[in-house]
Amino acid sequence: MLNRILFKNQDKKQLIIAMIGAFMGITFLVTSIHYLIKVNEFGKGADILGPNTIIVQKKVTNSSSLNLSKTDFTPREIEKIKAESFIQDVKPVISNNFDVSFQTDDPLVPYFRSDVFIQTVDQNFLDVKSAKWKWEKGDSFVPMILPRDFLVMLNTFMSASGIPQISDDLAMDIKFKFRLRDPNNSDKEEHVNARIIGFTNEVASILVPESFMQYGNQIYASTTESKITQIMISGKESEFGLVEDLLNKRGLESKNSQMVVGRLKSVVGTLFLVVLGISVIAVFVSGLVLIQYLQLLLSRNAYEVRTLLRMGYPPNDLIKSFSFYFIKIFGLVAAIGLGIFFVFKLFLDKMFESGGLYIGNNIAWLAIVALVLAYLLFALASYLNARKGIFNEY
Amino acid sequence: MNITFHKVMPTPLASIEHGSKSIWGSQIELKTGERILLNASSGKGKSTFTFTSIGLRKDYSGQITYDGKDVKTFTPDDWTLFRQTKISVVFQDLQLFPNLSVKDNLLLKNGLQNVYSEEELLQKLETLGIADKWNQKCGLLSMGQQQRVAIIRSLCQPFDWLILDEPFSHLDKNNAEIALKLIHERCEELQAGFVLTSLGEDYGYNYTRELNL
Repeated sequence: MLNRILFKNQDKKQLIIAMIGAFMGITFLVTSIHYLIKVNEFGKGADILGPNTIIVQKKVTNSSSLNLSKTDFTPREIEKIKAESFIQDVKPVISNNFDVSFQTDDPLVPYFRSDVFIQTVDQNFLDVKSAKWKWEKGDSFVPMILPRDFLVMLNTFMSASGIPQISDDLAMDIKFKFRLRDPNNSDKEEHVNARIIGFTNEVASILVPESFMQYGNQIYASTTESKITQIMISGKESEFGLVEDLLNKRGLESKNSQMVVGRLKSVVGTLFLVVLGISVIAVFVSGLVLIQYLQLLLSRNAYEVRTLLRMGYPPNDLIKSFSFYFIKIFGLVAAIGLGIFFVFKLFLDKMFESGGLYIGNNIAWLAIVALVLAYLLFALASYLNARKGIFNEY
Repeated sequence: MNITFHKVMPTPLASIEHGSKSIWGSQIELKTGERILLNASSGKGKSTFTFTSIGLRKDYSGQITYDGKDVKTFTPDDWTLFRQTKISVVFQDLQLFPNLSVKDNLLLKNGLQNVYSEEELLQKLETLGIADKWNQKCGLLSMGQQQRVAIIRSLCQPFDWLILDEPFSHLDKNNAEIALKLIHERCEELQAGFVLTSLGEDYGYNYTRELNL
């Protein structure tokens, strides 16, 4: 009966407008947070490089081919790039200055040998959490990460030799061997066992731990001073567009797929960031309108509230009636908003997938946490306003 | 529960001259179980007496105490308990819910302490001659009928004191006496007292004492 008295004098038009605003705000809030997270997560796990990280080199031009311009990086150039506000870190990619060949060393796999190019990158840039990613002299094998293209080439060789092709997992069980040799002294050589611990699409050479590279360069390197021809750049979140501008300005280039994904993530991320900003404003404004409506309802029912209090109704009962009414309304709006988000998700996931951005079906829980947070904030605001309004009539 | 007025002077009445027998500015104690007629002409503060007695107005000097405790120190929870179990009121403007039926108006109050059954409430309406209005909206009743509903509503709780602010102003003498008999029976049942404010009419009741404003 209390509700019949307290919610009789209503202009539901304003309430419906506020509910529609809140519903739209919540739907877009959850959607934008979900996709902002999913887009940023895209590629993680599958890549060995950290997020927003690329390997770049100077573009090879006719003048560089004629030795008129350099393709290596000076320390000053690296420092200049590092000083840009949108760059998180820059580190050189270290290459071997000694001869390396790579061969199979497994009775189950036919003999295969090739001269290779190995590289190492700073541990901070790698997303490899494996405990195997370390090497010390005397260890049973050197862990390595192979370019996926290398496995394709290996499989082509297997196929040509009439041997079944191998999967990623199987490749990791095969025993390999590196032969390290001083280019100026062919008698100075060493064989080191090696194992594949992962594959990458991002780097074109075989990656080895830094300690192994240092060892090789110390013992077997030629006297020629090593040049830095590639560097790793880690850009800040959602500022990948600026990194791309910098590359163009400085005549640098990166592996195309890395650029495309980086650019795509940057554009979609920025877009969802804008939607998120608008959604937060929409939720805030509609929450304010609902609270204002609560205050209006309280003032329209001032006589009823006052009379009930004079009859002996506990103020807390009335506060609960008003705040629960609005908490229920916001709950209903939030539930519908969440439902619509799932419908949106069905369509958007398909759209992203068809655009080559497979972001997975699972929910970004932070989006739900944001919804719960918005709900709790609104519940608190409703309670405080109802309390204030009721005690004004006391 | 004894109610004491320690030289209470409501701010709006401070400029008016009050007689030596007036409650305002005097030391007056309302003792449990007393039946008091509070006589005063218009503008002397009968409604102010009602409002200050039950803590709805605090713009006065002096002190009002319930069993020695200053009512200005009561919390909202204290007042809720007092208004449910210690003190009941019939306001001059009745303060009914015009859009609710007589039944709902009574049940709304009765529901706080569950004092009467619906049958008993109907019986009381029957006594006051308005049982046929049970399902009628209060806003559609005459003032006299509304006054009777408000009186019955005030009885739907336990109390030590019943404050009646000109409760019979729209009732004929016969109906007023029937209503006063009903009030008397309830007060006897609860060993409670009442204060009935009036413009001079005593409705033929044998009061414990008469006070003035």
